[in-house]
Amino acid sequence: MRDHPPSIDRITGFLDRSSCLRAVNERLAAGAPKHPLLCALWLDVDRFLQINESFGHQAGDEVITRVAERIRMTICRDDCLLARVGSDEFVAVFRVPDRAAAERIGRALLLAIEQPLRIDELLIHPSVSIGIALLQAHDDAQSLLERADQAMIEAKRQGGARLSVAGSDCAPARHGLHLARAELAIEADLHTALENGGLVLDFQPVVTLDGRIEAVEGLMRCHAHGRLLMPGRFIPVAEKTGLIVRLGEWSLLQGARFAARLRDAQHPTKVAINVSRAQLTSPGFIAALHGALICANIDPALLELEITESLAMEVAEVVQDNLRRAREAGVGLSIDDFGTGYSSLSSLKDLPATKLKLDRSFFHLLPDDRRAFAVVRSVAQLGRELGMVVVAEGIETQAQYDAVEAAGIEAIQGFLIARPMSEEALLDWLNQRREA
Amino acid sequence: MTARRDTVPTSVDGVLEKSIHDIDIPPRPLVIDQISAEMRREMPDLRNVAQLISRDVSLAAGLIKTANSPYFGFATRARSVYEALAMLGLGVTSRAIAAISLRGAFPNSAHYERFWHASAEIAALSGWLSQQIISPRIRADDAYTFGLFRDCGIVILLRRFPEYQGILEKANHDADNPFTDSEQAALPTDHTVVGCLLAQNWWLPDDICQAIRHHHRLNTLDEQTIQLSLPSRRLIALAQTAEYLVQQITGGSRTEEWKKMGPSCLHLLGLDEALLTSFFPEAEKLLATIA
Repeated sequence: MRDHPPSIDRITGFLDRSSCLRAVNERLAAGAPKHPLLCALWLDVDRFLQINESFGHQAGDEVITRVAERIRMTICRDDCLLARVGSDEFVAVFRVPDRAAAERIGRALLLAIEQPLRIDELLIHPSVSIGIALLQAHDDAQSLLERADQAMIEAKRQGGARLSVAGSDCAPARHGLHLARAELAIEADLHTALENGGLVLDFQPVVTLDGRIEAVEGLMRCHAHGRLLMPGRFIPVAEKTGLIVRLGEWSLLQGARFAARLRDAQHPTKVAINVSRAQLTSPGFIAALHGALICANIDPALLELEITESLAMEVAEVVQDNLRRAREAGVGLSIDDFGTGYSSLSSLKDLPATKLKLDRSFFHLLPDDRRAFAVVRSVAQLGRELGMVVVAEGIETQAQYDAVEAAGIEAIQGFLIARPMSEEALLDWLNQRREA
Repeated sequence: MTARRDTVPTSVDGVLEKSIHDIDIPPRPLVIDQISAEMRREMPDLRNVAQLISRDVSLAAGLIKTANSPYFGFATRARSVYEALAMLGLGVTSRAIAAISLRGAFPNSAHYERFWHASAEIAALSGWLSQQIISPRIRADDAYTFGLFRDCGIVILLRRFPEYQGILEKANHDADNPFTDSEQAALPTDHTVVGCLLAQNWWLPDDICQAIRHHHRLNTLDEQTIQLSLPSRRLIALAQTAEYLVQQITGGSRTEEWKKMGPSCLHLLGLDEALLTSFFPEAEKLLATIA
């Protein structure tokens, strides 16, 4: 039973805060079924104070009216309670089959509200932060809304124009895996980077001991929201979310295009691109590889795939099949970080590889550790006799260089020669070397 | 619009990255790189971008025209590059520039006149159709961009493989198997793969890139197991429906795709045959405006 008639907000026609609380409590008291779930969305217009100050209160009221309209149109359910609970805050309470449905509606609201608003001669770009709470066993109206409010504050803290779900430090990724909050931020960064040019490949040269450029390796960087992420941070997240396949295909094309660019600049050089397990198990891998070669119009020998030792030893048929087809296409195959896995030396003969890159951990111990030196020398000899180019990774000092030379290794990569650099910087570097 | 003969800005070449010989994938327009750089700044400055775009008169005119076009679906009208930018935002502007530049980015583009015309029709109808469907909501600018880029891989493959025209004809007449099966039987790749690579390289949104990649895959529209987002599936359904409308209205080149995917498209868009038929008169009027 209602004690008071509901109070309606003059501007939006929504309930006010106390009427909203009463209405939610009435629904709870009515003992409504647990499913579908009752959920509360708390929406706060971002930078509303600024809008009021810059454009005046009349424009501010107009923004509130139009945002309210968009909320009503987007949620579009008869059973939805809509309230204006502060000057720039709204609450929507309705039932959903599950949490994912609540998040979907939240995302639809973000999108609907961010469409530019024309108010007289002004163009305003509104956005909202949204907190979502799903009814829990002990909740009353007050606590349900408080949790939605807290979640909204969290969404604001993360920069606004986004949604946050109460009572969990994690949210489902696209593939259903749960990601920690930090990982979610990285996933968002990757999506942003894929759409605003925030992905780049830097390139680090591999140089033979007699001074030739053996190859350049592409290393991915991600710029988003003003920060630079290195692969160690974002590759694990990309692997969890499945984004790795898209990043990988993007890299293949960028690598192939740079190989064409190097060729046209009279520096014909192989470009090595890292390939992940997810790519090698995806059915479209070979089509994407050929697509990149066709788009860049390069000799396949100018592209080299770098895979880890464990991936090279992978028994999965699809992986071996894709590696074989890549080799048949004429693309090089390089084993990265060799020595960190558990391969026996005898298994080297079974690898379809053209290049072996010995892990940097071997060379930290050089030149002093005689035992490490003996291993390096043996692997170098074995690789050479199996027809592979053997590369030492992570060479930073002249002493390491001398030891590597004594061990009979053909080529090196590391800060002693050059750090990873942009396409332009690498072209300059190559030109300078040629002139010298 | 790029794909319309009368509006191809002749100086679009001027905004393209310095062309590299023998590369078959058209380079990304320089302006897109400049917009991306601005988007990555903490406080993007629309004035910088407006100045860049305004340096090329035809690009500027193309942007204003696109922003005001019925298929982009904005209610307000832009009168200057700055207004168009403020209305569209940087992300949509980048897509609009991509759309304006696509056709001109291909060398000897005139050879593929019929193809570009068909793409322009499908893009325009997709953008328009997205506004006729109240729920699910599909952004008109995404629908338009997808319609234009959906099949651009075909031009890349036509340029490279002399036999590709024959492969296409076979694929068009295959009423049972996925369109791309005919391509993959003869080539190591197909137009959805190279089209997706181009779209990624031009920084189109992932939903659009993935929709390009999977737009011929049967069951892609209703099968939950395929890891394709709902927005991507809706874009595919929308453009396929737009193509069907174009074919019904113009009696132009027929494919077998509607037989394979039509019912799923309608289901996904919440349409039925009767509703679709009711769209014909308006759609016909719109098509007539695409010279």
